[in-house]
Amino acid sequence: MTTTTQQHIHAADTGTTGQDPIIRISSLQKYYGAFHALKNINLDVRKGERIVVCGPSGSGKSTIIRCINRIEQFESGSIVVDGISLGESMRNVNAVRAEVGMVFQQFNLFPHLTVLQNCMLAPMRVRGTSKKDAEIIAMKYLERVRIPEQANKYPAQLSGGQQQRVAIARALCMTPKIMLFDEPTSALDPEMVKEVLDTMISLAQEGMTMLCVTHEMGFARQVADRVIFMDTGEIIEMAKPQEFFSQPKNERTRNFLGQILNH
Amino acid sequence: MIRDFGLLEVLTILQGMWTTLALSVVAFIGGGTFGTLVALARTSPWKWLRVATAAYIDFFQGTPMLMQLFLVYYGLPVFGFHVSAWTAVAIGLTFHASAFLGEIWRGGIQAVPKGQSEAASALGLGYIDRMRDVVLPQAIKLSFAPTVGFLVQLIKGTSLAAIIGFVELSRSAQIVASTTYKPLIAYGLAGAFYFAICFPLSRASAYFERRFSLKT
Ligand SMILES: Nc1ncnc2c1ncn2[C@@H]1O[C@H](COP(=O)(O)OP(=O)(O)O)[C@@H](O)[C@H]1O
Ligand SMILES: [Mg+2]
Repeated sequence: MTTTTQQHIHAADTGTTGQDPIIRISSLQKYYGAFHALKNINLDVRKGERIVVCGPSGSGKSTIIRCINRIEQFESGSIVVDGISLGESMRNVNAVRAEVGMVFQQFNLFPHLTVLQNCMLAPMRVRGTSKKDAEIIAMKYLERVRIPEQANKYPAQLSGGQQQRVAIARALCMTPKIMLFDEPTSALDPEMVKEVLDTMISLAQEGMTMLCVTHEMGFARQVADRVIFMDTGEIIEMAKPQEFFSQPKNERTRNFLGQILNH
Repeated sequence: MIRDFGLLEVLTILQGMWTTLALSVVAFIGGGTFGTLVALARTSPWKWLRVATAAYIDFFQGTPMLMQLFLVYYGLPVFGFHVSAWTAVAIGLTFHASAFLGEIWRGGIQAVPKGQSEAASALGLGYIDRMRDVVLPQAIKLSFAPTVGFLVQLIKGTSLAAIIGFVELSRSAQIVASTTYKPLIAYGLAGAFYFAICFPLSRASAYFERRFSLKT
């Protein structure tokens, strides 16, 4: 794989930092049975970078995100996260998962546990944190997403927006280096979108490395360092938000932007 | 000589009920423990393990418990294991109950949305933590009613242990019926005792199901 380095797509300014990427995806191929879901994906993400991924439904956005922490297996290529290569052992997989937080469209909170217990579980089980310390950590991040008063409720007693903020807090309790978001606001009623986006924006402002699948183009404009457009399992276009929105190069990108910005 | 139906007869049947309870507890503890493993194997990532467990379940669901008890009771000595009747019946009931409970709980595990174990994985939880803290607690709630339903069947089914020498509730009633020639009273009493065990279980199950559904 000596030629892969040239294939990596960098933003125009990547060369200036000289830093190793915190995520390096090389020649990634993913199949669901005979269906080719990801076609030769190459992507470097630098530390602190915020990337927004958009594209039509079924284009492979979730699949990329899910390959990064191996919720989904892949056939060939490699993904190196913070120097740890996935693919060898389960030990590496768990090491990566502990460093990478993930927020799902459907929240996926644990319904039989309280908000507080949802947040305490992983620090206790994965990091071996004591119950007392886990509770302190959990309350810290529940305050961080401005929802500490709900700590002892069950997820079903909260609104969608509150549940998604709890899901963000739950991920943050593992003090991840990277946060992955898979359409975090798509399942929300419109009036709740803002509270979740605001939480994500403040996270971005603190320098968190973020990879967000979202169609919230206002969010992309405001926080993204790069916007990626995907279609049919390929990265079609990748650019800084100003360029991406004002002068998209690819026909398919223009069509897509036309569709989602016109309503 | 025909005996009257007196205190001794009632005590005999009570003694039988005690044995029935003991057999049920053994079956449920053995079947519950082993059934958890069966359910986990049935939902494991390894295909050979799933197939092997499916065959195990099919065998024990597809043959009468009577035959299973015979096989263990007469089969183990053939292989050189000379075990007591209690050990034999404990093994037989464990096999039987684990197949049924395993299948019930497999359904429960698979009814827990996939996103739950994905979210647990994404947090870095390993298989054991994922199962213990996230999937099984929800699966147990989902399969609570069928589990109690099977338990009630199992309690009644322990009467089959009579054929390898246990004087449990049914057998004790039979003995009393033949010594007193009052079968109606003897079997009526035994029936009342079965009911006294099983009915509260069914009610408790309905109660807990309501409570669970309120909480989540
Ligand atoms: N578990 C699966 N089995 C088979 N096909 C799948 C599975 N998950 C996703 N796909 C297919 O892969 C493609 C990409 O899916 P996904 O990454 O979820 O798209 P997106 O998130 O961009 O909407 C879709 O065509 C989808 O139907
Ligand atoms: Mg998706």
